[in-house]
Amino acid sequence: MTVTQTGPALADVQAITEQVWSSFLGDEEPLLQRFDAPSAFPAEQAWSAAVSVHGGWTGSITVELSVAVAQALTHLMLATDDEPIEDADIADAVGELVNMVGGNVKSLMPGPSALTLPVVAAGRAAHATDLTEVARFDAVWGGEPVRVSVHAPRA
Amino acid sequence: MTQSPMDQSPTDQRPTGQSALIVDDSKAMRSILRRIVAGLGFETTEAGHGQEALDHLEAATAIGRVPDLCLIDWNMPVMDGYTLITEIRKRPEWRNVTLMMVTTESEQGQIVRALAAGAHEYVIKPFTPDAIAEKLELLGLVSKGVLA
Repeated sequence: MTVTQTGPALADVQAITEQVWSSFLGDEEPLLQRFDAPSAFPAEQAWSAAVSVHGGWTGSITVELSVAVAQALTHLMLATDDEPIEDADIADAVGELVNMVGGNVKSLMPGPSALTLPVVAAGRAAHATDLTEVARFDAVWGGEPVRVSVHAPRA
Repeated sequence: MTQSPMDQSPTDQRPTGQSALIVDDSKAMRSILRRIVAGLGFETTEAGHGQEALDHLEAATAIGRVPDLCLIDWNMPVMDGYTLITEIRKRPEWRNVTLMMVTTESEQGQIVRALAAGAHEYVIKPFTPDAIAEKLELLGLVSKGVLA
């Protein structure tokens, strides 16, 4: 585990994301790290969710997924196959995903601290201008983009 | 669509006559936990936050069917899981309900607080079905053969 004053190491963010992913979504379709991702999340249609941490460390953790990934993970978490899912179900599943990733990132950072409830949006994430990105894990799942990023206040 | 690892329960059990109340604000997480504990033989009911769980417990008490187990998330709207545990522990008629926190909160201080307030076990998300089954086996709520 490597922790700087500003945020967790990329390797830790990657490890947490992979652990959450394999626990709930399985390893049949692996989550593969992507090294050539552009700075803007590479999906026209996306879902995003964020949680904030306040206390010994302050920052936010954001998950961005293509719509296809968001729909697939919702089907898996709800154990539905071809049944239609509503946007509320997708928002719930994506929110729980960022809750798990964020909670585990929080545990790496100086505490005590509190985790907010997830905020979920249909679309790309927008980050507050007083925060700067301190770690970003880009991956692909089934050929579709997945991003987990950590933001902290500017020094 | 592939199957989630959460659907690979340790075993499919016949009904045990026991019941579990699952308290989590995420429908997806409630669904996952329901599949796991139903696979271990529990009848299940669900609540989306602590106050709703208290309402469920009151209604269940009125008909003499207090659940054997509550699986409780920490961070929820309206009433969080820690407050729910403290409220449950104020009520003598609920003293036999086994309380298991299932949460992303993994700071040592929070685990100690939850256990001191009356939680019997603490499971950190992400978890596996086996982790839930092992805790329930330790608590004597599922038979030892389940994990064989």
